[in-house]
Amino acid sequence: MIRVRGPGRRAALRTLFTLAVAAFTGGALAPLVRHADGTAGRESTGRGTGPRSGFDEMYRGHRIQGGDAGGGAPGVYVDGRPLHLMRCADGGFLSPLDHYASYPTPLAAARAAVDELGAARLSARAAVHGGGRAGGHQRGDGRTGGAGGGVRA
Amino acid sequence: MAAYVRKDQRSLTAAERRRFVAAVLAVKRAGRYDDFVRTHVEHYTADGDRGLRVAHMGPSFLPWHRQYLLEFERELRAVDPAVTVPYWDWTRDRTPAASLWGEDFLGGDGRRGDRRVTTGPFAYGSGNWTITVGVTDDPFLTRSLGHPADPIALPTRADVDRAMADGVYDTAPWDSTSGGGFRNKLEGWRPGATGTARWACHNRVHRWVGGLMVGGASVNDPVFWLHHAFVDLLWTRWQARHPGARYLPAAPPPPSSAQYRRVVARHEPMPPFDVTPQDVADVRHLYRYEG
Repeated sequence: MIRVRGPGRRAALRTLFTLAVAAFTGGALAPLVRHADGTAGRESTGRGTGPRSGFDEMYRGHRIQGGDAGGGAPGVYVDGRPLHLMRCADGGFLSPLDHYASYPTPLAAARAAVDELGAARLSARAAVHGGGRAGGHQRGDGRTGGAGGGVRA
Repeated sequence: MAAYVRKDQRSLTAAERRRFVAAVLAVKRAGRYDDFVRTHVEHYTADGDRGLRVAHMGPSFLPWHRQYLLEFERELRAVDPAVTVPYWDWTRDRTPAASLWGEDFLGGDGRRGDRRVTTGPFAYGSGNWTITVGVTDDPFLTRSLGHPADPIALPTRADVDRAMADGVYDTAPWDSTSGGGFRNKLEGWRPGATGTARWACHNRVHRWVGGLMVGGASVNDPVFWLHHAFVDLLWTRWQARHPGARYLPAAPPPPSSAQYRRVVARHEPMPPFDVTPQDVADVRHLYRYEG
């Protein structure tokens, strides 16, 4: 289970979906779109009480959905499991599956993640990031991988 | 204690290869290896999110990984004092045929389809290398050397030279968009680039290996350590080439800065380590690189 850690993460997610919704509200009623790779997808509007799905499509055998930031829950899903997107300073996004490049939109980052996923299934407890500032506890015994402090230069 | 030597992996003897692998497997068996995977995952903060970026997308990318390698190497040397972390010079050993990927060392490419590594000591079938901190449900190590689905070549000597020629350690805004500075040129963020140009130097090597190395759980592939040892070697060479150049920023960005409390300054600790960039700026008394 991916936990949303603190107001920073929630704020980032809110920003993400504000942008996603802003990008789609110009559209009509949930237009069905056909992507360049031949997959069909639905990009819905943000009408109603709050942010809704920004996208919902089948891509290379995986269902990817973007949206619902209600309650601060992660908003992009692969086969129903949350894909934790991180924001980059250039305005793009990266995911736990593809960590060394920034993609311009949540949809592009989600597709890139699926490209790396192949036939595998996204981990339900996929790498949560940025928790280090909370203290870096990894084990019940308080030891951290690489925080033994025994090596000083 | 005399400084030890980190060797080019291509010059290791068969016995040195065997002992390195055995030490890594012992650390894995003890449960410590997966702690290192978690530490790397948990300290990856992206530069569009708030919070301290200690490991990536920031100036402490190099010293943080230097300390991280030292801690891992300490674990290996507790198992076998003769072992050190070798380095992979990816400007020279550029193909899946390199001895690096031999059955007696790191094992080979992943197979077609699920990209599972099926050869060598880190193949799932060996029974010694189950992935427990991963990004998919698959319990096996994956690779996709050269990323054939979208082919990419390893960084070249010229790519490295462009980074090495920059005599400034890092520049504001100290993140993936920093246009100047050795650190970002070596880390390899290329905002605005398209196609495979998006990945440069360090980042590009992660992409080239593929599989788990592309994701947040990249440490699961032991080649991670050999890759970062070479990145660390390049930093030592850069330091020798630019003797007056020091880690930047020297002082923390002020509260008025967007980078306030988001980057590590020269004398600030790098969590989870109680070590500052200045503490690891000179490691010649600890280890040196062969070659």
